[in-house]
Amino acid sequence: MSTLTKILILLLTVSSFILCGIVVTYVGTADNYRQKYDDLRADRDSLSKKVKSLNKQVNEKIDQAKQLEDKLNSEMTAMRVEIGEVQGQLKDAEREKAGLLQKVNSWASIVEDFSETNDKQGQLLKNTLEELNEVQAEQIKQRTQLDETTVALVEKMAIIETLEAEKRRLLEERTDLQSRLDEYLRPFGKAAVAAVPVTPDRAAARPAPMPIPAVKDIGLEGLVTAVDMKNSMAGISLGKVDGVKEGMKFHVTRGDEFLCDIVIIDVDAEEAVGVLDLVQQQPRIGDNVSTGL
Amino acid sequence: MSPDGQVGGGRAVASNNLYTAILALAVGAVAATAFFVVFMCHHQYGVYLKIP
Repeated sequence: MSTLTKILILLLTVSSFILCGIVVTYVGTADNYRQKYDDLRADRDSLSKKVKSLNKQVNEKIDQAKQLEDKLNSEMTAMRVEIGEVQGQLKDAEREKAGLLQKVNSWASIVEDFSETNDKQGQLLKNTLEELNEVQAEQIKQRTQLDETTVALVEKMAIIETLEAEKRRLLEERTDLQSRLDEYLRPFGKAAVAAVPVTPDRAAARPAPMPIPAVKDIGLEGLVTAVDMKNSMAGISLGKVDGVKEGMKFHVTRGDEFLCDIVIIDVDAEEAVGVLDLVQQQPRIGDNVSTGL
Repeated sequence: MSPDGQVGGGRAVASNNLYTAILALAVGAVAATAFFVVFMCHHQYGVYLKIP
């Protein structure tokens, strides 16, 4: 075997190993295109199904959207109508609000005036209450004085009654003594002289005579409302509102009979009190009084 | 068996067993590669030497 043959055998062997290695490496690392194809086709089929289902869903959604659009269009129409009505109501409400605001302003001014008036009235009431308190204090004081005066008057009246009883008793004794003296002196043709009291009689206390105004022209007529013979006083149903004044003289009559006169000493709004004068008969409640006979 | 080899009676006789073994290895490698390629084709595509 020649050397060239040997060299060729070696080269052939080496090249065979190299080529076989390259082929094995290539084939071993080559991609499995069939597997890839199958995977891609399965993906395509699934995607096609998905596309179909999605198209169906899209169509359904489009139908729903159309229905919703129709519904919303109808609602928008109704809402536009309602908006028109609400705008009309809003205008009415604004008009009413303006009127109410005007009323509120007027009421506010009225309330303010009323508050001022109320403050003034409150101040006036406070002043009046203070005056009332003062008057009540004065009234209490006067009532106390009146009570004291009443007590003193009762005591005086008791003393007067005692003195009158004593006077009656003395008068009876004097009459008795006078009769006995007359019996004693009658056989001698003499008579006893009437006894003159050491202390002259005093008239009952009465107010000082006052100038009597001309009242005949007034022509007042009324009734006796109260009689107090113990103090020789009487009340009548006429007062200041009728024109009665202190010092006026009223004639008391019962039918055509003259009873007495009443000289007014105190006048109230609708009644008056006076002292009895020229008493012919005792007046009673209900007798007529007048300024002219 | 001499290293130079001899031809006698019409029957081929290897002149050198070393290089014969080397050639056998090369042929075996090629055959193994071919078998591997065929196996891979059948395994992956189901055919041997044809476009599926």
